[in-house]
Amino acid sequence: MRDAMQCDCLKHPPPHIVLKRAAVQVLLLAVLCGTLSGCYELSTSNGGAETRFTPPRQVDPSDIALPDGYRIEVVATGLTFPTGIAFNEHGGIYVTEAGYSYGEYFGTPRLLRLEPGGGTTIVAEGSNPPWNGLDYHAGSFFVAGGTVYPGQILRIDPDGLITVLANGLPSLGDHHTNGPLVSKDGWVYFGQGTATNSGVVGLDNYDFGWLKRHPGFHDVPCEDVILTGLNYTTSNPFTSLDDRISTGAFVPFGTPTESGQIIPGGIPCSGAIMRVRAEGGPLEVVAWGLRNPFALAWSPDGNLYATDNQYDERGSRPVFGTGDLLWRIEPGAWYGWPDYYGSIPFTGGFGVPDGATPYEQFRDGPDESPLQLLRDHPSEPPHPAAHLGVHSSSNGFDFSRNPAFGHEGQAFIAQFGDQAPEVGKVLAPVGFKVVRVDVDTGVIEDFAVNKGKTNGPASWLKAGGLERPIAVRFDPSGTALYIVDFGVMTVNDGQTTPYPGTGVIWKITRTGGAR
Amino acid sequence: MNRSSLRPILLLCALTFATACGTARRGEPIIGDHEPPNEDVARGLVAFNTYCTTCHPGGEAGLGPALNNKPLPESAIKFQVRHGLGAMPAFPERVISKEDLDDISAYLIWLRHTP
Repeated sequence: MRDAMQCDCLKHPPPHIVLKRAAVQVLLLAVLCGTLSGCYELSTSNGGAETRFTPPRQVDPSDIALPDGYRIEVVATGLTFPTGIAFNEHGGIYVTEAGYSYGEYFGTPRLLRLEPGGGTTIVAEGSNPPWNGLDYHAGSFFVAGGTVYPGQILRIDPDGLITVLANGLPSLGDHHTNGPLVSKDGWVYFGQGTATNSGVVGLDNYDFGWLKRHPGFHDVPCEDVILTGLNYTTSNPFTSLDDRISTGAFVPFGTPTESGQIIPGGIPCSGAIMRVRAEGGPLEVVAWGLRNPFALAWSPDGNLYATDNQYDERGSRPVFGTGDLLWRIEPGAWYGWPDYYGSIPFTGGFGVPDGATPYEQFRDGPDESPLQLLRDHPSEPPHPAAHLGVHSSSNGFDFSRNPAFGHEGQAFIAQFGDQAPEVGKVLAPVGFKVVRVDVDTGVIEDFAVNKGKTNGPASWLKAGGLERPIAVRFDPSGTALYIVDFGVMTVNDGQTTPYPGTGVIWKITRTGGAR
Repeated sequence: MNRSSLRPILLLCALTFATACGTARRGEPIIGDHEPPNEDVARGLVAFNTYCTTCHPGGEAGLGPALNNKPLPESAIKFQVRHGLGAMPAFPERVISKEDLDDISAYLIWLRHTP
């Protein structure tokens, strides 16, 4: 009788046992799904900047992993936010120090010569930081600068004399004037980042600091654009949090727009690659519709390429999940900002037919994908050469030209690394390394990374390797790759904290092996 | 539902946790040169770099979770790509073709087992 009861109980357990088992199964399935999905919604951000740092910075090349047959060494330490490197015809090595960092650090931008043994000599000092990028051509240096004052392109002679080649560039916002690159025929190409994340001035810009300094600043297109008239309502930090204010695209904070409104284009403009003669003269637009074209480089076959930092999850028009891009620049082309990611439009993405459900890749949490700001688009954007990590801040790059180094024709890109959670949440540090890219296939491979079970900056790993690579450049012989490491910048409790004197220059050379 | 029906779930959970404890790093500096062994995997490498690597750089964690240390079978990989999960969007066939998805799955399974 007892056995029969047990058997019957197993076949038909009491309701509380059924409920208990069901609860266990649901719990296990939830744990499994959560593990497989990374518990994204539940997880806190785990970016590489979300760490505590106490100077001095450790520097140890043995903490960096390279492919077999390469070695890395330290060239200089103790720099304050270096951003660019160049070489003169005599083998001299020169670097720029920005004089500014996110986190509202303001100092003096400088051009330095690196001396044998790691010392530095000041060549020139400026007053309009940040100095971003550096190139050398026909006996002069070329740098870009500006965030408190409008952007400039500067020519610096070896004796320190500074000549302004271009002035009044729209660099007062989120992104600056970047990475000058001089062509053999004497044109200085440079990138100009946008004022905003995605076209609308908002509270994120107030938090960054520049909206307080320049309340009338906004993006300017290179050509006339017609708006859809979308406006975004926020509180007004200039009056009170209860005061609601409406802001449209390509206009100052607190200015609403209307459907069909024409925004006049102009030069200089935001989100563009422009050029000016090395001896000065009028500006020309090379390409536009970019977001933050941080760096430029010529490929061995003579094409111009640009890295382009993509959208963040912030502000009035946040965009989720857009990795940085490497573009081959076609003269005159429009590259899609603020309504595309690469060649994908935000709404109805991937060529969704009319009436079909839009592809919501770019939604921000429960919100929908951002709606389009432009009624008509100048053209279909080209296809990117490569898609890099979301928030990787893929910046300065150069092409290998010498088979003695290997990977000839591939682009080597410095990845500054994420600034989560300010730019959006990540589950693990992104960037903080140097990658190489086959620009014909878009395939990306790590080249110089910190050792450890997971990727991250040295300060996060509590080690002595790479921190924030911001630029790379081959020496004139093409046998050594120099890495400009910006230094430590943490993000904690809503506060970005840069650490002066933590910048490093690294050098990678080939020691052997087929490649 | 009886206890025997819990076993596959428990087993999958245990396997997931065990492998998730391993490193997901598969970059050349960490594990050495690893060329794709066949055409399917080579095509999958290119497709992965077009559609996936922005959120899972090299199959490691980034915006999204790591893939290289998850024991998902091919069918589960394809299901997740087609239907999405959590913050990951669904990639319909008009975005990632059946052929590309086959190649991506082949690439991910090869990469996971690359020492």
